Amino acid sequence: MRLVGRRLLMTLPTLFGVLVVAFLLLNVAPGDPVAAMVGERADSATIARLRAELHLDDPLPAQFGHYLWGVLHGDFGRSYITQRPITRDLEERFPKTVQLALAAMLLAALCGITLGAVSAVQPGGAVDRLAMLVSYVGVSFPVYWVGLLLILVFALGLHWLPPSGSGGLAYLVLPALTLGMRSIAFLSRITRAAMLDVLSSDFVRTARAKGLSEAAVVLRHGLRNALIPVITVLGLDTGSYLTGSILTETIFGWPGLGRYVLTAIEKRDLPAIQGSILFMSIVFVLVNLVTDLLYAKADPRIAYD
Amino acid sequence: MRARCILLHTALVAAVACSRAAAGRAGLVYYESYDPRSLDPALSTDVPTGEMVTLAYDRLTQFDPDGRLEPALADRWTASRDGRRYVFHLRAGVKFHNGTPLTPAAVRVSFLRVLAPGTKGGRPWPLYPIAGAEAYATGRAGDVTGMTLVGDSGLAFTLTEPLAIFPKFLAMPVASVVPPPPADPAERPIGTGPWRFVAWQHDDALTFARNPDYWGGAPLTDTLIVRIIPEPLTRAAEFEAGRLSVIEVPFGETARWRAQHPHWLVEKPALRAVYVALNNRRGPLSDVRVRRAINQAVNVPEILATVYGGRGIRARGAIPPALAGSDTTRPAYDYDPAAARRLLAQAGYATGIDLQLWRTAANVELSRAAQAIQSQLAGVGVRVELVERDASSQREAARKGQADMVILDWWADYPDADNFLYPLFNSGSFGPGGNYAFYADAVTDSLILAARRTVDEAARTALYRRIDDRVYAAAPWLYLWFPKDLWAHRPELSGWDLPVIFNGQRWTHARLGDR
Repeated sequence: MRLVGRRLLMTLPTLFGVLVVAFLLLNVAPGDPVAAMVGERADSATIARLRAELHLDDPLPAQFGHYLWGVLHGDFGRSYITQRPITRDLEERFPKTVQLALAAMLLAALCGITLGAVSAVQPGGAVDRLAMLVSYVGVSFPVYWVGLLLILVFALGLHWLPPSGSGGLAYLVLPALTLGMRSIAFLSRITRAAMLDVLSSDFVRTARAKGLSEAAVVLRHGLRNALIPVITVLGLDTGSYLTGSILTETIFGWPGLGRYVLTAIEKRDLPAIQGSILFMSIVFVLVNLVTDLLYAKADPRIAYD
Repeated sequence: MRARCILLHTALVAAVACSRAAAGRAGLVYYESYDPRSLDPALSTDVPTGEMVTLAYDRLTQFDPDGRLEPALADRWTASRDGRRYVFHLRAGVKFHNGTPLTPAAVRVSFLRVLAPGTKGGRPWPLYPIAGAEAYATGRAGDVTGMTLVGDSGLAFTLTEPLAIFPKFLAMPVASVVPPPPADPAERPIGTGPWRFVAWQHDDALTFARNPDYWGGAPLTDTLIVRIIPEPLTRAAEFEAGRLSVIEVPFGETARWRAQHPHWLVEKPALRAVYVALNNRRGPLSDVRVRRAINQAVNVPEILATVYGGRGIRARGAIPPALAGSDTTRPAYDYDPAAARRLLAQAGYATGIDLQLWRTAANVELSRAAQAIQSQLAGVGVRVELVERDASSQREAARKGQADMVILDWWADYPDADNFLYPLFNSGSFGPGGNYAFYADAVTDSLILAARRTVDEAARTALYRRIDDRVYAAAPWLYLWFPKDLWAHRPELSGWDLPVIFNGQRWTHARLGDR
């Protein structure tokens, strides 16, 4: 518990750094948030008035101080464009992103680890070669293309699933598969490599010599010990999925964080961008913390102190 | 065998009957490519917001799908002979969705709300012609002097100067009427429009239900769902799966759908113009000979046919053919590279010039057109560097006059030639106002203002044509084309017509089922 507290404390400077960098970058980037507010036709007087009302003409340190003050009080501000509170927007989008991320990770973990473990049992075998093909496809084909292809085949061709949108479980399948594909590929390769490594080690030979069944050897001794690198990849991917996925969400019209951020960036909606970046950083840091704790669980040799 | 046939037949009939029944009950499904800003009319500065506001709210006037001005909340209005004073009479018995009756006071309060500084809406200009509106918006006055109640159903507007097209300004979404006091117009709109608001899941869908008490006749269908689908190919899949009632035909599908599904398609000249703004104040572009040379060096019909799928009409001016004042017979700048070279040489650029052309990946077709223009201009010695930025950066550079050339798409706010002249070529509209070419000509300015003040329709139309002639000769743009909208509708959809302007379709007569 002390460890958790200390690690959480250590994230504060990280988050502050993220805030500062995001704020500065946004302020040097070209593009004017007021331009998106007024649309394609406006008079300069209205633009000047809006800039003043939004404090956009204040000196940068004052703007940042004002923003930081709000954040410290749990107030991420209001979107310039929609005038809705950022926290409400994030509250609405995040559950959708979590849903998609978890589905993708579950799929990735199930398929990836299984494929990897099975192919390690008989390297060069039929399953191994099939797994190799799956991972090549998964890693090298662009998300965009795969997503549209899945829509074409499963929604338009076979009529099994809806092409896009959000709703019941049926809506989750294609986006989760699209999002998780890369992880399936990576996880299966990493599991395979780690398993081969473990299966040729001394304690596995001992286990076999003891007369344990092959299944027990592979699952209890092999897989358990091969899990460390797998958890690393799983953790990193979960972190990035939980912060939203712009491409997958755009293709499938999924109302998650990724699209929210994309729209905010396109419109130069500064409070929305800053709020999302801060929120995503918090999520990422927390996921990393959980991953670290899982290491210790999976491998008693790892201890934090 | 026979028994099986009969069985099969029965099953088929049942299936068809079922699907027919389902289609009869089915709601209409429309889409937007991104989430509207808000449902607050005061914030309607973009097309999705304007379209959604148009479903739930009414204005004093409105446009039909062909862009004709119609009475709406005002069933009649009168203009003074000099065009400076208008009196609008409200339709009797109109109620808001919550039962509150419509009053002239509600109209007045709605307009004040749009203008009030705290609203931060960004689009007060349609109301600026009203005397005192600008002063109120900037906080210099406590009230709008030019807006007064007349009796218990009339509202009078006194304008700062005569403006014949003022009734068209009042059909814009920003002039929608909200009930007093507007509780939460942004998220839970209450209007008088044909559709009552039901729910909004951001970035996903908006749901509307028919307003049975709509003054213009209740919609024929019970529900209208508007889905937010950013990706054009996904939209196409949704449409082909029968889950969208209408769709703009994706450019990549133009040829296939024209060949395979001609009965799905509706095509109409849109009130839009595609052009390259040539910055008339920058370097070689300040010379009219260079600008004309550019117009002659580019083979517009060819680019229109190849890059744009032929979905447009070659522009011979800035006023789209559907609007009064357009001249479709004006001699165009002919594609003539040799003539272009001569013009450049006369201007002293025999060795060629270097220019930047800005484009944004957000608009794929225009981005491709920019590439074609680059290669054709190279043929006459105009070396073009393509500058690719996101829409926001491009807009900022163009507004500040930092771009030599920008390829753009102008959408009408109101169906009148004025909308293609005043913002685009009046020197008072430099930059953010719409004049990205920074074209300044005192005669043009005075003609544009004169047209606005001209009450007589025919005289005004003649003026529009004269202005367009004059501007075209000065070639402030590389004139490209007026897009033709190409949409597809489900075969079972009836009562829907492709609107030439974004707020011209209210879905009241649309229904799915047998025709």
